[in-house]
Amino acid sequence: MNIIHLVIDDKPIVAPEGTNIFQAARDNDIYVPGLCYHPKLSQFGGCRLCFVEVTERKRTVHRFACAHPVSEGMVVKVNTPKVVRYRKSAMEYLLAHHELSCPTCDKSGECGLQNVTYELNLGPGRFKTVRMHHPVIRDNPVLELNRNRCILCGRCVSACKEIEGVSAIDFQNRGFKTVIGTAFDRPLECSFCGGCVAVCPTGAWQDRTLGFKGRPWEFESTTTICPYCSVGCTIVVNTKTESVRRIVSNDCLGINEGNLCIKGRFGHEFIHSPERIKTPLIRKNGELCPASWKDAIEHTTKRFRQIIAEHGGKLAGGIGSERCTNEDNYLFQKFCRSVLGTNHVDNMSNIKSPYLNSLIYKSVVNGIASASLKEIENANTLFFLGADMTEAHPVAGSMARKSIRMNNANLIIANVRNVLFNSMARNDIRLNYALGSQAMLINAFIKIIIDENLVDLKKAEAATNNFPEWRSSVDKFSVREASQSTGISEETMRNVSMILTKPGNCCIVCGKDIEEDPLGEITIKALMNLCSLINAAHDEKTGPRKVSVLFSRTHNNSQGANDMGVVPGFFPGYLDITDTTGREKVEKLWGVKPGNDIFQKESLNLIDLALNGKLKALYVMGENPIVNYPNGKDVREAFKKIDFIVVQDTFLTETAQLADVVLPAVTYSEREGTFTNMGMTVQRLNKAIPPVGDARPDWQIVCDLATKMGQPYSYASAKEILSEIGSIAPPYAGVNYDRLKRKEFQWVSFVYDKNRPAKYTFEIIQPATFNIIRKKDFPFILLTGASLNHQGAFSRHSKSLTLVAPACFAEINRKDAREMHIQDGDMVTVESVRDKIKLKAKVTDKTPEGTVFIPEDYEWVPVNLLRDRAYTPVKIYREAE
Amino acid sequence: MILPLIKGLILTLTRFLNPKTCVTMQYPDERPKLSARFRGLPELQIGKDGREKCVACGLCARVCPSQCISVEGAEDETHRRYPKTYELDAFRCIFCGYCEEACPVRAIILRDTFELATYQNKNVFDKEQLLDLTRKRNLPG
Ligand code: SF4
Ligand code: SF4
Ligand code: SF4
Ligand code: SF4
Ligand code: SF4
Ligand code: FES
Repeated sequence: MNIIHLVIDDKPIVAPEGTNIFQAARDNDIYVPGLCYHPKLSQFGGCRLCFVEVTERKRTVHRFACAHPVSEGMVVKVNTPKVVRYRKSAMEYLLAHHELSCPTCDKSGECGLQNVTYELNLGPGRFKTVRMHHPVIRDNPVLELNRNRCILCGRCVSACKEIEGVSAIDFQNRGFKTVIGTAFDRPLECSFCGGCVAVCPTGAWQDRTLGFKGRPWEFESTTTICPYCSVGCTIVVNTKTESVRRIVSNDCLGINEGNLCIKGRFGHEFIHSPERIKTPLIRKNGELCPASWKDAIEHTTKRFRQIIAEHGGKLAGGIGSERCTNEDNYLFQKFCRSVLGTNHVDNMSNIKSPYLNSLIYKSVVNGIASASLKEIENANTLFFLGADMTEAHPVAGSMARKSIRMNNANLIIANVRNVLFNSMARNDIRLNYALGSQAMLINAFIKIIIDENLVDLKKAEAATNNFPEWRSSVDKFSVREASQSTGISEETMRNVSMILTKPGNCCIVCGKDIEEDPLGEITIKALMNLCSLINAAHDEKTGPRKVSVLFSRTHNNSQGANDMGVVPGFFPGYLDITDTTGREKVEKLWGVKPGNDIFQKESLNLIDLALNGKLKALYVMGENPIVNYPNGKDVREAFKKIDFIVVQDTFLTETAQLADVVLPAVTYSEREGTFTNMGMTVQRLNKAIPPVGDARPDWQIVCDLATKMGQPYSYASAKEILSEIGSIAPPYAGVNYDRLKRKEFQWVSFVYDKNRPAKYTFEIIQPATFNIIRKKDFPFILLTGASLNHQGAFSRHSKSLTLVAPACFAEINRKDAREMHIQDGDMVTVESVRDKIKLKAKVTDKTPEGTVFIPEDYEWVPVNLLRDRAYTPVKIYREAE
Repeated sequence: MILPLIKGLILTLTRFLNPKTCVTMQYPDERPKLSARFRGLPELQIGKDGREKCVACGLCARVCPSQCISVEGAEDETHRRYPKTYELDAFRCIFCGYCEEACPVRAIILRDTFELATYQNKNVFDKEQLLDLTRKRNLPG
């Protein structure tokens, strides 16, 4: 790309070719007024304020800075008298029909229009003012549109189309009557990402969760990380008098470039929900009664001691949290292992897919895992395998749309369901494979690549181990059979293989549908084989590494909880528990010697142990296993068999209601620490408000318990804990708490050495389709998945989110619904052998025939109670009135 | 040097010997006549609909040099912006009148309330108290 030299307001600057004057000026801190240009969006040129004088090839002309590209030797003047005069009259036109209700407008103080009016020192205009009197549109719980304040800059229209891909709003009508709105003025139906609010230069779009509850100049802003999904967007929390008023985004911060989804932007009301637990609770005579911290800690430690004395520490267990910080989780497992003396520590994501950690770590070591979520933006091919980006990782979906817009990326989406993903991709391939055939699909790609020599096989053989054996195992595989069992034509598979092996970066997102599937392990292994085959055969001279995989995670810190060793198989940083060097290191640092006998691989998970009566005490931190445990009602039975349960959480969840002691913990806005997102990027939280009520940060509670039990933990802050993590966990060795404030830390690049890559060993797998047992009286298979609007207890207690999505639903295929005479919106009962739930039917074409899809993130609808270990057969019927 | 002294003495003596001006005002039996632009305690005004005029724009709180005003805006059922709480710390108010000047809807006016002595060690007027000052004025008679 050529570099252009130009002069703006006597300041010589450089800019890459193709940049417009506006952007070039902005990048060099030169201010040009302008309300319609936004660096994230395509330029529109509607406000006419960026008018500047341009001298180019000896001619002096006037141009719009946002619409004119820079050229060599150009001289730009931003503020000549003529330009200012023009700008003033453009503003007069804009203001002539503006509502000017600044005193009651929530935008006042950060309004672009107000700022320019002030800068240009405008008085009353020359024109007769015409007021518009459009009614304010408030047809949804989170957004408000006041068209009287709109200046028709088009930013919201572009944001909705380009970033969110929804195109819910557009210009309506013509001429003077032009307004922003939905087609035929129907109620707004969109993903409610709030992108329009973020880009609108005026107060036309408003965040209704703010609702006049403060002024921009009164707010304190704290940059922190979103507490919901594993994308890990950076958000800015606006607080006033120690309460959170709204969440905004900052285009210059974080991996999300100011894009957020509905949960991140509007789901903050839970922080001040009256239902939060504000004091510790102790069970007395069957009731949970408020108690002081001193009593609660004393009672807990007394009972822990009793149980350890009676049964030994091995009969205690701990469930860590995917929502708490790395520091909390690190101390939690340290407490369980060194104070309680048990290795029964686990977290929900590991219980759901126990093989995942070692596979992810292996792919990091072999350079298959992506170094960061940003790789989506730089990809030339995107492959979403079993990942519902729109629902599960909305902002990562926006990143994908960016790469489609900027790099013209190819898009391949493979899923059982016909998931929604709005994009303008030129090459948009959707593969709806049959349930349970995903491993066949991946192997078919491998087979086609080998058969058709799409990559340099000799090179691949030289760069890897076990290639010949693996290749001969693949030889037996038949693409035709795969095509039959997946239901995808050979032609399409060939096409996809071709796209995957094309030059350029390819980013694969491996979704929850793959990871949590009974076939998860072999599918991921097959995927790793595929990536290694392509990568190993790649010639470094033609460009950088080509294929990388992002493993999707469910919660904000699922990755971190596993990194911190809240799993039975690993110490922090994936040090194997059976490996003595790792254990010695840990023992030296912790200064305790947990007995050798506890560090043995256990075949049962924590809940199964409890079910077999092998668990007497359980410590649950920030998790709700009663609802989240994927294997049905067993978990309730299991909890009944445990003598003493401590739950540490922000709300009185279903699990907390069964506890003997409940300890109130803080939410993300009240704590310090770090989260690790699904791209293994460690990001820092900042405390915005002091703890609500008597709540305490999780790590402090753990410290108090440990100190009371005779092992003083003397950490003063999250920073100290993080530096201990850095000294024990190899991936976190380079992390520095203070530096995190400025720049996030990506641990993949510390583990994977590009110059000395580990040699990949192909693993021979036998792909097979999963034999799905369909029982006659339970003819449907239950599928579960993520939901855009909800995720656990936080969204459940956020008023706006529950108003946007008040009820869970069961998606049923149109054909099935017709056979059962079920209409859209009917109440139906979904029943499995284990349990039944009643919910609203949603008749769609998204879910294939013979299946029913229920999102599992509506915490109050315990769909997991229906589930069985594998694909769960269910029946659906309409409730007799 | 002596001249101003004599001038001063003349004034003192004329006042002293005049029966009308020789005693101070008999406050509180006698009320002072305040000028129309006297700046007493700021009072919240009442609109035609009988509710507070204030729209909780927060400008008075922003401009107040002694930072004695705090406003909490909220939205009512008719989506009107109104002050859920409005507090003015009369101890800190310096009666500068900036709030009156800043208010875009003329909802706060400094009038003639100046008797602010209290036995408490704080004197914070809340919204209702500030409105009451105006309500009392509107009473007939
Ligand atoms: S959009 Fe800006 S100029 Fe218009 S009323 Fe709101 S604050 Fe005032
Ligand atoms: S609503 Fe806002 S962003 Fe959209 S066109 Fe109007 S002023 Fe621009
Ligand atoms: S995409 Fe995820 S991290 Fe980003 S705002 Fe939404 S829930 Fe939060
Ligand atoms: S008169 Fe001055 S000091 Fe008193 S409240 Fe108004 S602005 Fe503040
Ligand atoms: S300036 Fe006027 S309208 Fe605004 S908050 Fe103060 S009293 Fe209310
Ligand atoms: S910013 Fe250039 S026309 Fe609006």
